[in-house]
Amino acid sequence: MTGSLFVQSIGFGLVTASILALASVGFTLQFGVSNILNLAYGDLMTASAFAGYAVNQAGGSIPESLAAGAGFCALASMLLNRYVYRRFVRHGTKLFGMVVVTLAVGIIIQNILLGAYGATFFSYSFSAGSQVHVLGMVFTTSQLMIVALSVVVMILVQLLLTWTKLGKAMRATAANPSLAQASGIATDQVTDLAWLISGALCGLAGVVLVLNTSAFQSTTGNDFLVIIVAAAMLGGVGRPTGAMLASIVLGVVTEVTAGFINPSFKEVIAFGVLVVVLLFRPTGIFGQGATVKEVPT
Amino acid sequence: MRSHAIHSSSRAPAACLLAVLLTLAACGSHGSSSARTSGTGALTFAVFNPFSGPDASFGPEQLAGCIPAAAAINAAGGILTHQKIICKTADSRGDPADAVPAAEQLIATTSSLVGVLGPSSDEASATVPLFNRANMPMFGDTGQAVFNHSSFKYFYRITPPDDAVGYAMAVYAHQKGYPSAAAVFGNDISSQGSLRTVVAGFKKLGGKIVLVQSIPLDLTSYRTEISALAAAHPSVIFTEADPQTSATYLAEAKQLGHLGPFIGTDGTTQPPWLKAVGNAVGVVNLKRYYVGAQPYAPTTGVTYQLWLSQIKAVGAQVSQPASQWYGDSYSMAAWDSINLTALAMEAAKSTDPSVFRPWIVKLATPSPGAVVVHDFAQGKAALTQGKTIQYVGATGQISFDQWQNSPGAFSFVSSDGSTKVATFTAAQISVAK
Repeated sequence: MTGSLFVQSIGFGLVTASILALASVGFTLQFGVSNILNLAYGDLMTASAFAGYAVNQAGGSIPESLAAGAGFCALASMLLNRYVYRRFVRHGTKLFGMVVVTLAVGIIIQNILLGAYGATFFSYSFSAGSQVHVLGMVFTTSQLMIVALSVVVMILVQLLLTWTKLGKAMRATAANPSLAQASGIATDQVTDLAWLISGALCGLAGVVLVLNTSAFQSTTGNDFLVIIVAAAMLGGVGRPTGAMLASIVLGVVTEVTAGFINPSFKEVIAFGVLVVVLLFRPTGIFGQGATVKEVPT
Repeated sequence: MRSHAIHSSSRAPAACLLAVLLTLAACGSHGSSSARTSGTGALTFAVFNPFSGPDASFGPEQLAGCIPAAAAINAAGGILTHQKIICKTADSRGDPADAVPAAEQLIATTSSLVGVLGPSSDEASATVPLFNRANMPMFGDTGQAVFNHSSFKYFYRITPPDDAVGYAMAVYAHQKGYPSAAAVFGNDISSQGSLRTVVAGFKKLGGKIVLVQSIPLDLTSYRTEISALAAAHPSVIFTEADPQTSATYLAEAKQLGHLGPFIGTDGTTQPPWLKAVGNAVGVVNLKRYYVGAQPYAPTTGVTYQLWLSQIKAVGAQVSQPASQWYGDSYSMAAWDSINLTALAMEAAKSTDPSVFRPWIVKLATPSPGAVVVHDFAQGKAALTQGKTIQYVGATGQISFDQWQNSPGAFSFVSSDGSTKVATFTAAQISVAK
């Protein structure tokens, strides 16, 4: 029974990890390219969930809702960076100041959603599907779809970053924006594209999150933000590959903890892992001795 | 039971700064009660509850009691020389970091304030002392047991505390013949309020608790917890968590084939919880497996008809659909609280809380020869004729103990939140203690 629960916990952890990976890779990508710790990220996820919900309620399928959420958030994130965050940066707002700005944007988004949709809960119309047993693990078909979506997206992100000109330009912009600009890289456009891509990931994460939680409201994404930031830090801030790995670690650790120690300690153990890893590797699993940079203007 | 999550707030620094500023403002305006103690200006009742955040449904629920009471008082000519009564909302956001400055601001800037509906469990510990210090009568919808024996002179509670609901759930489960149970509660302070008593009560009645789970709120999945639950084979589940957490937990229980009977606290009888969980597990399953405990308020009789006619008259002004509040015992308790406070002012011939405060208990207590009244207009008319009155409201007779708490009966409702399937008096519930 105990062995069975352990295997099942790992399966459940993989589902959590899949959602977390989509969210944390987008989050860390934004930080990597712009050096902006975007604390409005969770609220943008919620807004995307509502965008997908609108499509779902209009009779759209779940893939169409995912596309709507991703498209909405991609555009919203890019515009948010271009017309809000970047203006603050150009007016001299520094790293900590930008954190406050993103926090303010998050509160504004959350309250707009509250005003528009009210203080109640929403659910997508969809069937979670039948149970599927894989190597002793139990999934629903919708959860298998979430895992598959996450794997495909992670592979695409990895390919984008390592094998395309855009990916190299993004990495160059992340490493040293001034040098990248001097080398002929249009850093503003690269940053826009990075926010489009990370925004799309944020939107996907928002929709799959609420598909999995079954109910959501205007604060749902924000509730998830802390664990997203934890995954990004554990993986090494600005390191998408690290965020993927960290998501798996956190997802599995939380579920195994729930099964064998106490559900109350789920997050405690996850953050304990974070603290221990950062104690020995202060820059995270994949961090490369990076230091805190100011926001590039 | 009246709140679900005290979320840690990363917005605390800003809130603290605001708190300092508002505290200074409050100090500057302390004692500015002239507007309420003389003249004919409007008097204000504040609904101090969450209107945003995870427990944002609490505020509208209280407001749905305030608005009809204020409208009926205005229609009856107002209180003393004050012809207009206003319901003002003050958003506590369900978080002490936000609630403290909100309370300070309310006290400092509302000189016509004569009573408060709230606070809820989310912010009661932090804000009850503030209202008490300002000599402001408050009717808490908090369920925290710490207020069972509270020494705050201006704190009143006419809904039962959290620990009482736990015993009521145990009695119901025992009566239904469930031999074993699991307790699945959110790990926040208010969800935990009834955990201890439901476990103790069920054991005392001979039941077996096979699992106690305290689950963190608003996670993406609880499937591991559900596997543990299935392994324990409970015949019923006692539960409370916020709507999203419960929806996720119970939807996954259904997906894994382990959904069975569950008994919720009164936190689960609210429309947002029923909607969230109903959508997640399906309305048919919710109807089949769920009952929820709530403070008993009769939905028949003269007083109920009075309440119903008054809330229907202002139906467009409350959170929609208005019908969700018709049988809501917390909205009815809020209506009673306003009526009782307003009549206390009439009886004391003063709008000064330090003068009319003792009348709140006096008017609820039976006395020889007292005329029983059921709303403000009846009470005002009787007082004008020089009669002694006893207020018996929509929630029934209010029996304040020495700590100004009024423990009452409980009813159990089905998935529509209003159809009663069982009712237990305070005496029946006491067998589980």
